[in-house]
Amino acid sequence: MPHCAGLSRRRLVQSAVAASALGLPVPFRTATASDPIKIGMPVGLTGPIGGVGAQMRRACEFWAKQVNDKGGLLGRPVELVIEDTAGNPATTVRKVQEMVERDGIRVITAIVASNEALATVPKLVEWDTIFVSGDNGDGRLTGESLSPNFFRPNVSGPMGTRAVALWLRDSPLKTFYGLGMDYAWGHNSMEVFEAEAKRAGKTFLGAVFSPTGTKDFSTYITRIRQSGAQGVYLVLSGDDNAAFLSQARQYRLGDKVQLLTELVDQMTINATGDASIGMIGSSRYPFTYDIPANKAFVAAWQETYGRPPDLFEGDQYQSCVVMQAGIEKAGSLEAAKLRAALEGLEVDSIKGRVTMRACDHQGAQQGFIVKVVKHEGMAHPMPEVIATYPADRVTPPCNKMVYDD
Amino acid sequence: MDLLPFLLTQSLNALSQAALLFFLGVGLTLIFGIMRIVNFAHGTFYMLGAFVGYSAVRFTGSFWVGLVLGPLVAGGIGVAFETGLLRRLYKRDESAFLMVTFGLTLVLGEVIRLVWGVEALQVPTPETFAGIVFLFDEPFPVYRLFLAAAGVVVAIAIWQFLERTRLGLLIRATSQNAEMVHALGVDVKLVRSAIFGIGCGLAALGGVLAAPLVTASLGMAANAIIDAFVIVIIGGMGSFLGSLLAAVLVAFVQVFGAYYFPDFALAAMYLLMLLVLVIRPGGLLGKEA
Repeated sequence: MPHCAGLSRRRLVQSAVAASALGLPVPFRTATASDPIKIGMPVGLTGPIGGVGAQMRRACEFWAKQVNDKGGLLGRPVELVIEDTAGNPATTVRKVQEMVERDGIRVITAIVASNEALATVPKLVEWDTIFVSGDNGDGRLTGESLSPNFFRPNVSGPMGTRAVALWLRDSPLKTFYGLGMDYAWGHNSMEVFEAEAKRAGKTFLGAVFSPTGTKDFSTYITRIRQSGAQGVYLVLSGDDNAAFLSQARQYRLGDKVQLLTELVDQMTINATGDASIGMIGSSRYPFTYDIPANKAFVAAWQETYGRPPDLFEGDQYQSCVVMQAGIEKAGSLEAAKLRAALEGLEVDSIKGRVTMRACDHQGAQQGFIVKVVKHEGMAHPMPEVIATYPADRVTPPCNKMVYDD
Repeated sequence: MDLLPFLLTQSLNALSQAALLFFLGVGLTLIFGIMRIVNFAHGTFYMLGAFVGYSAVRFTGSFWVGLVLGPLVAGGIGVAFETGLLRRLYKRDESAFLMVTFGLTLVLGEVIRLVWGVEALQVPTPETFAGIVFLFDEPFPVYRLFLAAAGVVVAIAIWQFLERTRLGLLIRATSQNAEMVHALGVDVKLVRSAIFGIGCGLAALGGVLAAPLVTASLGMAANAIIDAFVIVIIGGMGSFLGSLLAAVLVAFVQVFGAYYFPDFALAAMYLLMLLVLVIRPGGLLGKEA
């Protein structure tokens, strides 16, 4: 290109500075002490998963502000690069690719849905990028689909079901019925529950599955009543869950039958109000958990947002803290160094001790069973911890989704 | 549970659902009858009703304020949309209406998301009807009885409105021959605006009433529009009585279908639609065959 021939060195440097100020890619740029540490967040903010995505973004922003207020990470400020994926796996892969190639990002977090995560993990090694999960529950991510660059400090789906199963063994309830959503997750979780109930010496009377988007649950409520079961295991989410709980309350179902569920989250509690009172289930993060680290976190959160943190906010925050500890230990964002630092890392977090297992990159941690209760003077009911189970009983064997006992 | 109480409670359940389906379907069918357009945004007006209902309860403490305000807001937006946009398109073919009402769905849906946020919102059951009654020792929510009664009252009101009032007369006349009505010196434009507003208002009424059952959430619209189409197709496009009949039929098929054949719960409604279309392609009370 002849017209480039007269370009002076000074001019080149000027344009490079201008380009970097505009956030454009500049070749041969090396990190300096003042360069920010960029964390990629391909997070679903619109579409059906937008509510969870908003929680995860909030948690990351809260964490980044805390870190930056204390002088940053490795002496550099943390910068979050946030992109909306709308929960679409193909979009997620494309956005991460852009982050890696355009922004030179080496660490990502806050992918909302498990199918997005499953689509992303096969390319992590090629991108030389570490993905620290903030909420992805699918057991395969630390099993058959494990990537060496994937880490899961959060609680997985099987770990949630496991906590419920352990609680079941100590519970006085003897007979159970099930209501699940009529797709893979509903059937899958119900099978696990049925097996666990039988293993605990309980009677499983049967289950019924409602199509996704069911609005009238009266028939299903009738079936649950007719079964005569003492407890009903619910595998419902989103609008279906809110509709079921609202209507179950109108039928006074909870007076006769104990409602059990895989996951108790504040979003559903807020959407159904008193209808969720008495429900028992696992929690990935109960904000009422009474240890000093958590109390400090909840107080700071309350000051910023005027309400306590929800389940995905707590779980994502813990993942950020683990990621931070890994980066500090590695002293670098390079995938090889960060991977070595994260493997076997022990962190005392808001949920107690988390050990990032070297064998399958799952964060071993305790499991919580909560019951939804309402305290005088509080706007919403809230989950209260009624049982905790130690990490070695809740976390599955390495690379597995099922438990030996 | 014995057979008699079972049949009674499930029939009442079906009637309460029929009322909600009727509010949805009747507006759509009236609009189609007069204007020959399919209002894609109908489900979104239903959803809007639920969210307005939420805000009414939140800020005034009264569900009944929401029950009045929801239809008024939706009806107002409906009239503004008809006079501002639809009116310019009546000379075009039907695809133009599909595009513009679909556009309204997207815009209105996004506005609702911006105003009320992404999380589902609780609309508590109004205090008056929050209790239960015992039917043969089986608890039954009073609110569902109220829904069924509201369906009957609104159906009679619409019927009387269409039969007894001057606007009702004009609506029936316009649906049969708009040009003749126009030739007789009636402002057909006004009739169209009115019916579009009434249709949207009825959808929102259904939305407010459904909110204590399903909460106000962003998933409502897509669900509702499919139900509304099914009601209109089964009942016959443009038929008021048809939509009433279809709502009751669909509700009974859904409730009893889900009980006896839970694996086919989703298919039951569509099987009914298929059956009706095979026997009467124009719908149960439709004029076109």
